[in-house]
Amino acid sequence: MRLLVAVLLAVSAGPAAFGRGEMPATIQEVKTKHETRLMAMPGVVSVGIGRNADGQPVIVVGLDRERPETRATVPQELEGHPVRIEVIGPVRAQ
Amino acid sequence: MDLETPRSVLRQASRELLARRNVTAIGLGYKVTAGKRTQTLSIICSVARKLPVSALSSPDLVPSIVRGVVTDVIETGPIRALQAPTGRFRPAPGGVSVGHRDITAGTLGCLVRKGGELFILSNNHVLANSNDAQIGDPIVQPGSADGGTVANDRIASLEAFVPISFLVPEPPSECPFARGVIAVLNAGCGLIRSQTRYRIVSIQATNNLVDAALARPLVAADVKDEILGIGAIQGTAQAALGTPVKKSGRTTGLTTGEILQVDVTVDVQYGGGRTARFTDQLMAGAMSQGGDSGSAVLDGENRLVGLLFAGSDNSTIINRMENVFAALGVTR
Repeated sequence: MRLLVAVLLAVSAGPAAFGRGEMPATIQEVKTKHETRLMAMPGVVSVGIGRNADGQPVIVVGLDRERPETRATVPQELEGHPVRIEVIGPVRAQ
Repeated sequence: MDLETPRSVLRQASRELLARRNVTAIGLGYKVTAGKRTQTLSIICSVARKLPVSALSSPDLVPSIVRGVVTDVIETGPIRALQAPTGRFRPAPGGVSVGHRDITAGTLGCLVRKGGELFILSNNHVLANSNDAQIGDPIVQPGSADGGTVANDRIASLEAFVPISFLVPEPPSECPFARGVIAVLNAGCGLIRSQTRYRIVSIQATNNLVDAALARPLVAADVKDEILGIGAIQGTAQAALGTPVKKSGRTTGLTTGEILQVDVTVDVQYGGGRTARFTDQLMAGAMSQGGDSGSAVLDGENRLVGLLFAGSDNSTIINRMENVFAALGVTR
């Protein structure tokens, strides 16, 4: 069902996007594309999509604790989408 | 009117009033007449169900005046003790302690339907001991950490579970080339005084979507199709960013939160050095602790949206209920 919705959106967005050349990647696509690399960085426990204070979608990278090296390595935006880093702590089955 | 007279009358008359059929509680309060509160202090008799005078025999009638103090009769329904979710419940609703005999305790999520029968829904790591159980194993309510035993408290049998794929560190000697690369990388890290160390990890081909399992009640009447502190379930829904959510769990009871992240990929520790990667998860703020795993997560309209299974100091990780239903082949 979700796939069908995605296809319909792609079709409806088609002509305009082709007119400008490359179609911009959605935040979901960008997150999926980069998450394996992000999850491999020291201390990264999660990658998801949240909202900024102004309500805009943002890629959120979760850390197990404060990690200055990883903070310095994670880009502030990916393909035009903002990235936020949060310390969420180690995630355990409860 | 002074308070002392009605109080002493209440004390003297309490036994004979409570002896009446239907009277569940007595106390002092202002009498309500025609829906309005009056200034008259009265002895209020609470009844499970208000009956017409004609339906009661005279010994069961509450007199309109007791030793000069007027009475009032109000309907409160049956009064039950508020029971902690760690207790033994028959029938057992969602939100109470449950577990495979070999685990400590988790939470009974809710009842779901498969082939016309009702089953208990919770996590694999609650009902199936994180893949280490056999179909048919006993499930106890309350869980063993809350005193439940197989002999006295068995409520169900493990019916099915979705296996969890764990990230498995490679055994040390497997591949000489990989070991060589790792040794060089870690030597480099040591040289630049970095805390980082690399290790060989084989990433499972399949990421997990759910930590879910089903148990078949031994007796259908021993389970109840509602959730403690929440009540009846009003169907299912899909959660999105900002959806207000609530859960009723074994450890922290009824708590509320909000979906802060969707499309979450997360690595979850299962103890014993085992880690599993989950995709398409929901994340809420802190609203759970150990023992709350398996709780059903509902939206503001009491519709099922997820199955709680993990968390950190300031996050709660939730499987999407549509993924749980699809993986187990169940419905509401």
